[in-house]
Amino acid sequence: MAKSKHPNGAKKWPFFTVLFIYLAVVVFPFFWVLITSFKSNGEIFGDNAFGLIPQNPTIQHYVSVITEKGMLHAIMNSLIVSVVTTIYIILVATFAAYAISRFEFRGKNVLLGLILAVSMFPQMIIVGPIYDLFLSIGWTNSYWVVLPYSSITLPMAVWILVTHFNQIPLALEESAKIDGATPFQTLFKIVFPLAAPGVFTTAIIVFIIAWNEFLLTITLNANSKFHTVPVAISFLRTQFEILWGQVAAATIIVTIPTLIIVLLFQRQIVSGLTSGGVKE
Amino acid sequence: MKKMGFKEFLYIVPVLFLIGVFSLWPVIQSFTYSFFDYRLNDQTKSELLLSEKFNVDLYSERSFYIERFLNQSMPEITDGEDRQQVEKLIADLNDLNQQFEGQEGVIKISGDVTDQVKNVYESADQLVAELSETYELVQEENLPLLIDDIQNSLVQSNFIGLEGYAKALTDDRLQYSLGVTLAFTIISVFLELVFGLGMAMIMNKAIQGQGFIRVTSLIPWAIPTAVAALMWSYLYDGHYGVVAAIFESLGFIENSTDLLQTSLGGISAVILADVWKTTPYMAILLLAGLQNIPNTLYEAASIDGASKIQQFFKVTLPLLKPSILVALLFRTLDAFRVFDLIYVLTSGGPGGATETMSVYAYKVMFGQMNFGYGSVIVMIMFICVAIIATIYVKVLGTNLMEKN
Repeated sequence: MAKSKHPNGAKKWPFFTVLFIYLAVVVFPFFWVLITSFKSNGEIFGDNAFGLIPQNPTIQHYVSVITEKGMLHAIMNSLIVSVVTTIYIILVATFAAYAISRFEFRGKNVLLGLILAVSMFPQMIIVGPIYDLFLSIGWTNSYWVVLPYSSITLPMAVWILVTHFNQIPLALEESAKIDGATPFQTLFKIVFPLAAPGVFTTAIIVFIIAWNEFLLTITLNANSKFHTVPVAISFLRTQFEILWGQVAAATIIVTIPTLIIVLLFQRQIVSGLTSGGVKE
Repeated sequence: MKKMGFKEFLYIVPVLFLIGVFSLWPVIQSFTYSFFDYRLNDQTKSELLLSEKFNVDLYSERSFYIERFLNQSMPEITDGEDRQQVEKLIADLNDLNQQFEGQEGVIKISGDVTDQVKNVYESADQLVAELSETYELVQEENLPLLIDDIQNSLVQSNFIGLEGYAKALTDDRLQYSLGVTLAFTIISVFLELVFGLGMAMIMNKAIQGQGFIRVTSLIPWAIPTAVAALMWSYLYDGHYGVVAAIFESLGFIENSTDLLQTSLGGISAVILADVWKTTPYMAILLLAGLQNIPNTLYEAASIDGASKIQQFFKVTLPLLKPSILVALLFRTLDAFRVFDLIYVLTSGGPGGATETMSVYAYKVMFGQMNFGYGSVIVMIMFICVAIIATIYVKVLGTNLMEKN
């Protein structure tokens, strides 16, 4: 369609130039960090600091980040925390979103407003009391940190899922009921299969939010045994001497899982991100 | 639509529970904290106390030593009346000790006991002062300090009402951090909107490579902010950072070390990093909105003789307004509470030039363990967020809720 507006190719090149600059700016930091991760310390802190090609390519930084800094352990922690969060948030949010979409009840708008408000307020506000609570029941330095993760993931999940349920026609459920299906049969045989794409989209968004969480983990889990990727990587900086080679290697290692998720699920991510905001 | 019965209510119980315990209760609790001088690293203030309490451990330890030193001093004390007074004091100290037999830590006490403790303190204070004038007491310098601790074992209430908020009004550092937060929010969200809208329009035209552009755009959004911040701190490094070097050679900054060591450099650096991370996300949100605008509208506009610029202002912008407002609302609130990016990239430096309210609140709460004043800062942030959200929702009208 757009093509027909520009019959002569000459008009297109400014677009492509801008597009190219945009892509270059977005990609450049990763590209540079990738180069740095293969340079030796002598090069990073020496003559070849701004060189494009590592003179003596080395994987030393990757080895030390994994063996000394426990980056693999941090990735494991991140996986545990994110998967657990995704599973229980999706379960809880699916039922709630279904109820909000299908049942009439008093205070529904209050509930929705509340969920929206929770997604807006600064996370810093919940950290103090939750730290206190966890300290008093001995839950600091544990995987229980997944429960307060609900504060950042649940509102988003419910919001996206309500939008999805609203798009599933009610008539299907009604005809299932007429055919003699129990409410649970309707839910599991009709509604959930139809809602599956939306649920899946939500799950990916929740997973990414949980994977990226920083504040709750750094405050509740001071023990490095429970550090997730973002927290573990931030501690590479607080050393008295910053080894940029290790920082670069760690950045590349932890970007790979994100890259895979984005590559595989780009469509779902975009639809999840836009379904809350964009109106048809 | 079906009415909700008890069975249907069960569907939303887990959500109510999670939101209640991990979102709403902490907000109310933070609000409560803000009225107390609540510090986790100070034993006398590590609890929210509306009334006085009594530190049994401190009392029993101190009274033990007072008793011991006084007993050791007995041979020195020759006057019969003085000896009697000392014995009476020891008896009083013991009497209190017996009342708290078997209890430990900090406990609640009645007003009578409070008076009793105060009386013991006063008489001990007076007696020891008198005695030390005439006699050579054992541990004469330390005795008054030990006796002071008797009074200290009465833990004062740390309820301070609005004092925390009064302090906030005159706190220069807080006002500065509010300024930094506002500047960061306004500038970065503005830049993200302008660049994001531009990119969305260009992506809308690009027919080939949409998938590639989408993946490239999603990655900055999807990687953890802490990781992005650390990556940028390398690129900004004054000696080995390539971006700092490029900026120096382009003449943006005089010296490559200026970027992270001057106020203006620091704030520009965090804004640039945020714009890099979030513009692609903004572009994707707006692209979805653009794709919903029917092409026929543009065709009709161009038949009517509207120029490209007129089309943008008369067709694109009005139709895109809902998408823009929703994206702006969430981006503004996100930018206002920014924490990870600045905490990892600059820690609020140089010299507090990039310290936003979140970073300041975090430092007060978890650096100084002052949860009381930290909560005051957080409540002020909460009020600001409420104001921002109200303004947007007023502009948006009922758009956000009307779907349901």
